[in-house]
Amino acid sequence: MLDVHHKGRAVVSSGARESMERDAETLHGFGLWATVSHDK
Amino acid sequence: VTEVPVARFRASQGGVTARFGAAQARIVRDLVSQVAELLGADPETAEDHPGADTPPVPDGPGPSDGQVLEAAFGLTDATEAPRDPVLARLLPDAYRDDPEAAGEFRRYTELSLRDGKVAAARTVLGTLPARGGRIRLSQPDAEAWLRALNDVRLALGVRLGVTDDFEEVGNGINPADPRAAYVWVYHWLAYLQESLVEALS
Repeated sequence: MLDVHHKGRAVVSSGARESMERDAETLHGFGLWATVSHDK
Repeated sequence: VTEVPVARFRASQGGVTARFGAAQARIVRDLVSQVAELLGADPETAEDHPGADTPPVPDGPGPSDGQVLEAAFGLTDATEAPRDPVLARLLPDAYRDDPEAAGEFRRYTELSLRDGKVAAARTVLGTLPARGGRIRLSQPDAEAWLRALNDVRLALGVRLGVTDDFEEVGNGINPADPRAAYVWVYHWLAYLQESLVEALS
C-alpha cells in the first residue's frame, strides 16, 4: 500500500480478467481510477 | 457577525449525524445536482423524483431494435472516454494502453456506473434539506453520501486543476478567478468526507 503513497498507484487485486473487471467497475463506483492490466 | 461552524459528521445510533448551515447545504446540493446532471440525470427530475429514471428521448428517428435491445441489457454505444475531463475522471478508462479492451469494458459497465452515481446523488438531495439543519443518515444512505461527496470532490478537483499535492490545491489560481471561491469548498468537502469515513468506522 506504500506504493500508493510513493507512486500514486498500486496493485490491489489479481486474478481472472472477468473478476478483475468486476473489481475495476466497483472501484470506479467509489471514484477510484482502477485499471486492469495483463501480467506477462 | 455570526460564525457558523462548518458541517462535519459524527457517529450516532445506527448511522451518522451532521448539522449543516443553510449556505453549506445549498453548496452541497448545488454541486451534487451539477454532477448528477453531468452524468445524464434529467435536471427536472434529478432532485424530487427518485426512480423517474427514463433516458432522454433523442430527436429524430426513434431508436433501432438493436439500440432498444442494448439498452435493455444495460449496454451503451459509447466506447471512448467522455471528452469532458470531469466525466472522463468519473467514468474512467479501465485499460491504459488498450483502447479496444477499454471500449468493450465501457460498453458493458458505463450505464450502470452512471446510474449508481446518479442514485447516490439523489440520496444526498433527498436527505439534505435546502435550508440545512441537523440530518441523520442510515448506514446505507451514509455510504451513498460518501460516493456522491467523492464524485463532487473529484469533479471540483479536475476543474481546479488539482494534481498530486493536496496542500497545493488552488495555489495556481488567481484570487480574481471565479474558481477561487471553490478552493475553500474543495478543502471543506475533503474534511466533510473524512469526518464521514471516521463516523462510519
